[in-house]
Amino acid sequence: MSVVQARGLSKRYGSTVALDNVDLDIQPGRIVGLVGPNGAGKTTALKAILGLAEFDGQLSVMGLDPRTHRTELMQQVSFIADVAVLPRWLRVGDAVDFVGGVHPRFSREKCMAFLARTKIQPTQRVRELSKGMIVQLHLALIMAIDAKLLILDEPTLGLDILYRKEFYNTLLGDYFDEQKTILVTTHQIEEIEHILTDLLFIKEGRIVLDASMDDVGERFAEVMVNPDKADSARALKPLYERQIFGKSIFLFDGIDRARLAELGELHKPSVADLFVATMKGTYA
Amino acid sequence: MSITWNDNAPIYRQLRDRVVAMILDGVLKQGDALPSVRQVAADFQLNPITVSKAYQELVDEQLVEKRRGLGMYVTDGARDALLQSERERFLREEWPMLFARLKRMNLDLQTLMKNAPTNGAQS
Repeated sequence: MSVVQARGLSKRYGSTVALDNVDLDIQPGRIVGLVGPNGAGKTTALKAILGLAEFDGQLSVMGLDPRTHRTELMQQVSFIADVAVLPRWLRVGDAVDFVGGVHPRFSREKCMAFLARTKIQPTQRVRELSKGMIVQLHLALIMAIDAKLLILDEPTLGLDILYRKEFYNTLLGDYFDEQKTILVTTHQIEEIEHILTDLLFIKEGRIVLDASMDDVGERFAEVMVNPDKADSARALKPLYERQIFGKSIFLFDGIDRARLAELGELHKPSVADLFVATMKGTYA
Repeated sequence: MSITWNDNAPIYRQLRDRVVAMILDGVLKQGDALPSVRQVAADFQLNPITVSKAYQELVDEQLVEKRRGLGMYVTDGARDALLQSERERFLREEWPMLFARLKRMNLDLQTLMKNAPTNGAQS
């Protein structure tokens, strides 16, 4: 059974279309990256999945409709948002007590064990913590919940590279297993591309790429082509072309590798390259 | 720990090659345990499916065995088997080209041996 299944998921804010007929299937045990430019509809999609926003179309999360079964859903879904939502006056110990009080699947022991690995003290207030420490606290609270689906919306925004690495290290080492599913949005795509099992690109409210990382590796290829062969490369309808040192670099989708190898040296494009190629013209 | 992966081979393949190099270098000896999939995923910031795939390759090549409930271990004779296959590969793929090159340059065995690096001064 899909963890998330959407059919014709749509959302408008006035005359602006935030989500335009989105179809989605997310399977258990996957780490899915939802990537798109600012304003593409990422957060709107996550809000719909969490039952935090109204929407049109069909959506089922863990087999439940987020519009009508939000309370049951919240027992199985956790969420870290890109905006700090922990009240600044709250003490760390009280935050642990609170989540322990409201969430039936929260393990206090786990949470304290995570916190013990940080410099965070239970008596500290949120306002005394650095941004990195607030995310650590948030992560400790969330990872202590035995939830099937974890949704992360720009979880490492504004963190330095040490905190960012530690964040994903903890997530992979202490949280994730094949029974769990993670859906994550981030702009720091090059840092997490090897963590992902699946990639979703969203552009202007539409899903423009939905593929496993294995498929991405097989479908897309980058070729560095000398000027004399550039026209034959263009005839194969590349997704994207850029120039470096008088050579052209073409990005192809689904063209036979043997054929491309005749044009020049083949490379596997990074997710960032794919992103740039797919999103061209977004802000124009 | 930060590692750069090259973009010419799938990462699971590169991870497999790393473990193979560690076995050949004697860093991993027969009977040694490999770190868990979870540990490797966290250390190298890879998804666990990639790591499992690399380990599965090693199992298929009988260089590593799964002991139920315990994890992955380097099999007895893994290094010998690897040496054997690496030697065969060298003789099949690299030696003919190297031989042709030596012949082109008129380098005989005597000259080569005279200029061979002495023990302890190997490159």
